[in-house]
Amino acid sequence: MSVYLYDGSFEGFLTLIYQSYYQKKPALKIIKDKKEIGLLDEVIEITTDAKRAEKVHQSLKEKFETKNYNKIFHTFLCNEREFEKALYDFIVIGFKNQKNLANINHPSIHYLEKLEHEYFRYVHKMYGFVRFEELEDEMLYAKIESKFNILPFLGKHFSKRLDGCDFIIHDTKRELAYTNGIIHQVADFETPTLSENEAKFQKLWKLFFEKVSIKERKNPKLQQNWVPLLYRKYMTEFID
Amino acid sequence: MDIYQKLAILSDSAKYDVSCSSSGAESNFQKGMIGCNEKSGICHTFTEDGRCVSLLKVLFTNFCIYDCSYCINRQSNDIKRAAFSARELADLTLNFYKRNYIEGLFLSSGILESEDKTMELLIKAVEILRFEYRFNGYIHLKLIPGASQHLIEKACQLATRVSSNLELPSSKSLQLLAPDKTQKNLMQPLKYAKDFSLKNRNKPIPMTTQLIIGATPESDFDILKLSSNLYNKALLKRIYYSAYIPTNDDKNLPSVNTTPPTVREHRLYQADWLLRFYGFSYNEILDKRENLDLDFDPKMIWALEHLELFPVEVNHADKEFLIRIPGIGIRGAHKILKARRFQNLSFENLKKLGISLKRAKYFITIRGKYFGEKQFYPEYIKRALTKPKKKGFYQPSLFDTFIPAVTGEL
Repeated sequence: MSVYLYDGSFEGFLTLIYQSYYQKKPALKIIKDKKEIGLLDEVIEITTDAKRAEKVHQSLKEKFETKNYNKIFHTFLCNEREFEKALYDFIVIGFKNQKNLANINHPSIHYLEKLEHEYFRYVHKMYGFVRFEELEDEMLYAKIESKFNILPFLGKHFSKRLDGCDFIIHDTKRELAYTNGIIHQVADFETPTLSENEAKFQKLWKLFFEKVSIKERKNPKLQQNWVPLLYRKYMTEFID
Repeated sequence: MDIYQKLAILSDSAKYDVSCSSSGAESNFQKGMIGCNEKSGICHTFTEDGRCVSLLKVLFTNFCIYDCSYCINRQSNDIKRAAFSARELADLTLNFYKRNYIEGLFLSSGILESEDKTMELLIKAVEILRFEYRFNGYIHLKLIPGASQHLIEKACQLATRVSSNLELPSSKSLQLLAPDKTQKNLMQPLKYAKDFSLKNRNKPIPMTTQLIIGATPESDFDILKLSSNLYNKALLKRIYYSAYIPTNDDKNLPSVNTTPPTVREHRLYQADWLLRFYGFSYNEILDKRENLDLDFDPKMIWALEHLELFPVEVNHADKEFLIRIPGIGIRGAHKILKARRFQNLSFENLKKLGISLKRAKYFITIRGKYFGEKQFYPEYIKRALTKPKKKGFYQPSLFDTFIPAVTGEL
């Protein structure tokens, strides 16, 4: 049983799987930061190796059912959370027998199932809460600050809805942006100029939002359950 | 009148229509068109009263030739009136949609001049959206009762979903409060729409309706019976219940000071869910009473009244019965079924799976063991369920004893 140290990348993780399998040293703990090393830990440091990673990737593709294969990627998009050990267990169990991956009594499998569920709930909420602004060249621009990396799903979702319109979704926390099917790194960014009509429609939307609420049934607590303050930062109707 | 005033008036008068869901519409991506439906529906924001906003819900106009007592837009009310132009409405919808404020449009209207004229106006606005702006998103159209068949059919072709409100649960109440409407007349557009869509698509166009609760004396039994009949005939996809909010002073209506019966509305929705997803029938939900209990949800009441069927072993019960256990819903039942393929489940296992046992424990055994009250009677279980939460240590205050001592209330 050993403690593995890897660089936090997906390839690094796959290299780790490769190494622990061939050296027959199952991982007890997986960390990506040297500060987490304990006093008595026997640490194995992983040097990311693209070739080995690709090999593991290929066999994941062959051996894992699509649903389970996708789950590995979805988990990696939640890298704000601790997931390495659970994902490691998941992959080890999966290589032995795909059927056992449905056993939600196993703590790691259950953990990943819950994490994936949380991720998609979050994605679904953000499908509704993202707000675009029209720029002077008719481009639509949205800023988000999200707890998970959801750009791949947002991008896919909005390219279906806004077919024929140019749009950017900018993740300010991760400094990433989605345009035309590609996710880019964004180093620095100038505040764009809004179109003439933008202020008018924002005002109309705020007006509508105010008018549809029924005063006799006012319930701000319920509202906050549905739209926690955290989400409101870039939502037009909550900005004064 | 500018667009701001129009929007203010016409969204204000549409807000009492509770339906605002876009769920259940199949994904319909088309290249080069703006808009695509999402099967699960999306909430874009939530109003101050905690309701989801998914659609731009407005009236085309709030002018109306009818005089229904419960309605804020009735002819005899002295309120500000406005009407959109078809172009204004289409622009508004498209621009809101592009900014991801909404899933689509929910368009209803007061009756301007005649039923046919009104239906034509609604259709015109939707035509601009669909054909000129190539908008492919969700559109919900209110069918105007009394409009001609060909107009109803046209509306069905353009809209994603249509509806017509039955308003009140019985013809008698309708006659009293809305003398211009009859139940037959209100059902007519739904029938036209069903026949038409069955002819032209392979499945019927989804339809909904709304019933006002608490304005008239019907019991919950009457209401659920009506709902259940409408669902069984596959006429409707969804029925909305709306607690009556007094807007008009009328001798036939509850006084303006009554508070809306929101708890009753909530219980009716719960019962409605039981009808649609849990395999209950209306006379099962209300077999011993006229109205739903306000303190406990209908599923709990059903279980308490049928204790002879409980407790049931979670490791053996089939899916149909698992979902009937109070506290275990459809999702919980699925988790149990999935997990028990691998092992016999214990109390701990269930807790780890995140199944809430707070209420369920009174109705189940786990590996043959019962974890609820010692006395297996409805009264005991009810008492256990309503028992106040235990508080921490009580810190006696000097003033607790001091004040009664002064006032002599010892």
